[in-house]
Amino acid sequence: MTALTLAPVAVRPRRPVGVLLAGSFLALVALAAALAPLLAPYAPEAIDLSASLAGTSAEHLLGTDASGQDLLSRVLYGARTSLIAPVLLLAVAAVLGVTLGVLAAWRGGWVDAFVSRLTDVMYAFPGLLFTVLIIAVFGTGMTTSVLALGLAYTPTVAKYTRSLALSESGKPYIDAYRVQGMGGARICALYLVPNLGRGVVGYLVVLFGEALMSLATLSYLGFGAQPPSSDWGLMVQEGQAAVVQSALLPALVPGTAIAAVVVSFNVVGVWAADRLGRRG
Amino acid sequence: MNNTGLLVVDKVCKSYPLPGGGRLTAAEDVSFGVAPGGSLGIVGESGSGKTTVARMLVGLVRPDSGTVTVGGTARAARTPGRRTARLARAREIQMVFQDPYLSLDPRLTAGQCLRTALRLHGKEEALAGELLERVGLGEREARARPRQLSGGQRQRLAIARALAVDPRVLVLDEAVAALDVSIQAQILALLDEIRREAGVALVFVSHDLAVVQHITDDVLVMRRGRVVEQGPTARVLSEPSDPYTRLLLAAVPREGWDPDDAVAARSALVEATG
Repeated sequence: MTALTLAPVAVRPRRPVGVLLAGSFLALVALAAALAPLLAPYAPEAIDLSASLAGTSAEHLLGTDASGQDLLSRVLYGARTSLIAPVLLLAVAAVLGVTLGVLAAWRGGWVDAFVSRLTDVMYAFPGLLFTVLIIAVFGTGMTTSVLALGLAYTPTVAKYTRSLALSESGKPYIDAYRVQGMGGARICALYLVPNLGRGVVGYLVVLFGEALMSLATLSYLGFGAQPPSSDWGLMVQEGQAAVVQSALLPALVPGTAIAAVVVSFNVVGVWAADRLGRRG
Repeated sequence: MNNTGLLVVDKVCKSYPLPGGGRLTAAEDVSFGVAPGGSLGIVGESGSGKTTVARMLVGLVRPDSGTVTVGGTARAARTPGRRTARLARAREIQMVFQDPYLSLDPRLTAGQCLRTALRLHGKEEALAGELLERVGLGEREARARPRQLSGGQRQRLAIARALAVDPRVLVLDEAVAALDVSIQAQILALLDEIRREAGVALVFVSHDLAVVQHITDDVLVMRRGRVVEQGPTARVLSEPSDPYTRLLLAAVPREGWDPDDAVAARSALVEATG
């Protein structure tokens, strides 16, 4: 028999520097969005054709777009729609997805089969195409986009919730509620769903970045936010034409804002999901 | 013994389909009765069907055939949809589960856990304090979540939760198996007290013969879903008539005991009876 020597393992708590940075950046963006009227040097829709496509200067810190609108002001105001819309979208997806997922897991049998096939079909269907289809029927605009994308995100949330609910509802404490004589609807709404909370919230945080991207994409394509909104996706689309005139800032500023926020959310989201999952 | 008593189980059967075809018989023609304030043990090795029987008693598993009667009224095979019927059914039989780490809602404090059960059955929420006291838990534990309680404390809480409903029969599925020996003794003493004071009949499912001997009047020995022997605990455990019961008794560690003998005896029985 050989002696087994174990090298001492230094247990060093990992300092999530990246998470801290990303978190503070997001906090800053949220603060800037809230205080936009105080921070923005100009009104976001103030047109000044004499200052069209100006570069960075003391008057316009991030330059201006083709209509001479101040980019810093627009990107600050744009943070409002860009941050709130994904939250609303995910709220729609969470309500529908959690309901469907729990229903499928709890009832089993044909209900489960029906919900699972439905989510599979929606999964197989390209999300963007589905969204554009809804928008084609109900018209363009931010509200329609949020609702359409909420529906498009529902299957993902439903599938995830179903798997969580399946393992959770197999636990004896749920059996104990049934033995107590409690009805199924009450068990699900008051005791099963709250116990899925951590897992579902963690998943939604991870989805946030993706949701923001999807909304920006729709606005970029002209289906979402409409001018004169300062939505970031719309700004990128508007700034696109200026690139040919070798003015990069109008597309670069909102594009960078989207990229930075999405990356930050992913970093924070993965960390949060990990922690919520581990403790739940 | 089968036709009298508070809880009468008559020829319940349950089988499950196997993935490769055929069926696994979890319980076949299991019959027994328990008098008010009586105590019955169901013993057998893992997979003998004792947990299936316990789950059929409380309605978590629907029997293929056979009836469970409490106080003269047969229990419906399906959980009734009507709230009053469901609650009345719950007041007949309550259950304490094997794993106190999983049988309590992690989000609720001990106090909330009991108040939920009391409220559901339209009782005074103030009774929660009395119930906790009865199982030996105090103010501090009332505010604690299951995660902050020890295994023994959790199982006491699970017992209190079952008692909150004021059941006539209490089914305990390996309720002390997950606890260490000194805590086991405390829980057994508590159960004995509940039985004597409240007249609650106990059905004690266990693989632990010492525990069964301590707490039950009658015992039922199960093997592969069938009852191989039943009778007063003292007689069955001192002069077993069935070879399987003898085998279970021989498998209990004691002075001068050789595990190899127990293993050899088991193989011999499996060979002889299939």
